[in-house]
Amino acid sequence: MYQLLLTRVYLTSKIMPLLASVGLGLCTALVLVVWSVMGGFLTTLLSSGRVFAGDATINWPAGIPHYEALIKKLEADPAIGAVAPIIDTFGVVKLPDDRIEGVRIVGIEGKSYSRVVDFDKALWWRPIKEALPKDRDRKDPRLNPDEQDWQAIYENSISLTKPDRVTGERVPAAVVGIELSGMTQRDGAGYYTPVGLAKPRPDGSVQNLDLYLHNHQIVLNIIPQDSQGRLMTPTSKPLPVAGEFRTGIFEIDRRTVFVQLAELQRLMLMDAVAGVKSSPSGAFNPYENVAPDGTSLGNVETTGATPARVSTLVLRAEEGFTPDDVRQSAMRVYTEFAEEFRGSVPQAFQINNPRGVKTWAMQMSTLVNAVEKETALVLSLFWFITIVCSALILAIFWAMISEKTKDIGILRAIGASRAGIAGMWISYGAILGVVGVALGLGLAYIVVLNINSIHDWLGYSLGLYVWDPRVYYFSKIPDRVNPANALIVAGAGIGFAVLGSIIPAMRAAFIRPVTALRFE
Amino acid sequence: MALIQTANLKKTYQLGHVQVPVLRGVNLSVQPGEFVAILGASGSGKSTLLHLLGGLDAPDADDFKLLFDNRPINGMNAAQLDQYRRTDVGFVFQFYHLLPELNVLQNVTIAAMTRWGWAFSSRRAEVEKRATELLRSFGLGDRLRHRPVELSGGERQRVAIARALINGPRLILADEPTGNLDRKTGAGIIDILLERRKAEGRTMIVVTHDPELAAKADRVVRIVSGVIE
Repeated sequence: MYQLLLTRVYLTSKIMPLLASVGLGLCTALVLVVWSVMGGFLTTLLSSGRVFAGDATINWPAGIPHYEALIKKLEADPAIGAVAPIIDTFGVVKLPDDRIEGVRIVGIEGKSYSRVVDFDKALWWRPIKEALPKDRDRKDPRLNPDEQDWQAIYENSISLTKPDRVTGERVPAAVVGIELSGMTQRDGAGYYTPVGLAKPRPDGSVQNLDLYLHNHQIVLNIIPQDSQGRLMTPTSKPLPVAGEFRTGIFEIDRRTVFVQLAELQRLMLMDAVAGVKSSPSGAFNPYENVAPDGTSLGNVETTGATPARVSTLVLRAEEGFTPDDVRQSAMRVYTEFAEEFRGSVPQAFQINNPRGVKTWAMQMSTLVNAVEKETALVLSLFWFITIVCSALILAIFWAMISEKTKDIGILRAIGASRAGIAGMWISYGAILGVVGVALGLGLAYIVVLNINSIHDWLGYSLGLYVWDPRVYYFSKIPDRVNPANALIVAGAGIGFAVLGSIIPAMRAAFIRPVTALRFE
Repeated sequence: MALIQTANLKKTYQLGHVQVPVLRGVNLSVQPGEFVAILGASGSGKSTLLHLLGGLDAPDADDFKLLFDNRPINGMNAAQLDQYRRTDVGFVFQFYHLLPELNVLQNVTIAAMTRWGWAFSSRRAEVEKRATELLRSFGLGDRLRHRPVELSGGERQRVAIARALINGPRLILADEPTGNLDRKTGAGIIDILLERRKAEGRTMIVVTHDPELAAKADRVVRIVSGVIE
């Protein structure tokens, strides 16, 4: 009972331990903020990274022939819910303002791809009725039906086609990452608004461009490769833009262009063509020797159609199955498929390995491991600071106990036990820990919740932009506190405070009453 | 039967490499309700004897006797010694030894808190009433919420006496209770102690070198060079 009384009295009369408690609070806040941001970064990275990764993929960059048959077999497996064929390659894109950017070009079938990944949900320009949570003034252009024909833009994006301006026929079109063109600017409330871009004319004047990228066309430049992986003549193709997408991962939104699978197959020379028998020398380019209708143009003998190819199959797990289950099933199915199409498709041993069949986590493992290590490193540094704070409490308590030696002697003289004295100092440490941790949790919660506003304010006021999306992948800093992490940080903070008080408490408990009473 | 009984009680302190014998074999017997004054020069071992009687220090391990109510104090374990100091003994020190952060009432009730532990909360009203009555009877009724630093020396010593009495101990051990006070204030403190002892029949051992105080005792023992004359 006297422990409570003295703890309360010391809490309200001694400033130094309270300062230590504040220090502990700041350390707690620091650890929790860093953990929340870095942990949130990792979680966002994983969840956003999955947007276009599916649960697993089968990859063979030179192209998997007979992929329709493989898809049929894969979709018959109970672990696999859906499969989408894609071509995943690299190229260079020329933007409306004549800028050139290196990009990842992905050929998809809009609808089948949406069955496997959240492609349709990533499409940004679409009609919406509810404003984004922070868009209190409803300034998001998508809320205004008179601004653009949002529904048509959305449908164009899903089908990756667009009506030709002259004929009205639907022609292949591209869907571009929203950060690529530089024609939109993201507001703090989360919505995008178009910004005016201009390009110079040959006569030196300047042409103001239409505000929206989907009213322009881009030019894709691709270097195809044959089934043996040999580079062929570069291809250039102007494509109208159907719409833009946003995943939240800056790197994807900055460097990805989606086009129709059939169009990309054609540009990459991975569509169905007539096959040829190898010439004795073995060195030939079939596309220079075979006409589109499959007839021989020279001394090369045709052998019938060579099937179309895709570089990747993206797989979605059936409900109740894990990505690992999907990977195992994919390898099993591929073995059967390779057996059936022996000689005309990559062999099972070429595909059934960690490079050929990957879960989404394996695809992102390099990045995820790097982020995990960085998080662990930063956290361990801040935990070390918290331990230093515990040492600070120890030092302050040590000094206080020296100052209070006589009081301890008095308490022992009136019958206080050693355990009681030790308990008093430990509970004092624990209360300081609780006060500091409560302070720290509150502070961390406020900071994390408002971290984007704070960051924006720092940017506007001081020109200090710590979070550069080009470096950190996301345009928004993660702003969620994980309750489990908060619990661990709180427990550890209180634990360190108690730890810091144990040694001084033991010292106090073992002071001889007579020595303490004579202490000056 | 004697309340306090010692035989051949010795205590030696180690000061660096030197052994300093303070008590060289004290034989003392104090009857229940008796007021004994221990007189002696500085360094004669008076306070050390009081600390041994109060269980604050341990005598040298030798052939000795140290009994309270026929129970060996030296045979008590740590918990029993704590209990002994809580319930059977009340200490009054020369320099008051009040806790500076607590007010007058808290300085008195804290002794009851150590006695009752968590059960104190159910006895709080009763204890505070008794402490208030004690302090009022000592003329401190209007100083209950004052801190020790706001009190005079005499007032502080009266608070210390109230703290020593709050648990109703059978034995009061006072170590030069007037040693730090002027003659008049010291006389007032002695009157309070004697009045209480008489009213409640407590045993009191007072260490002093004040002959006037010693004259009021039932019995005076002199300690010279660690032995009782």
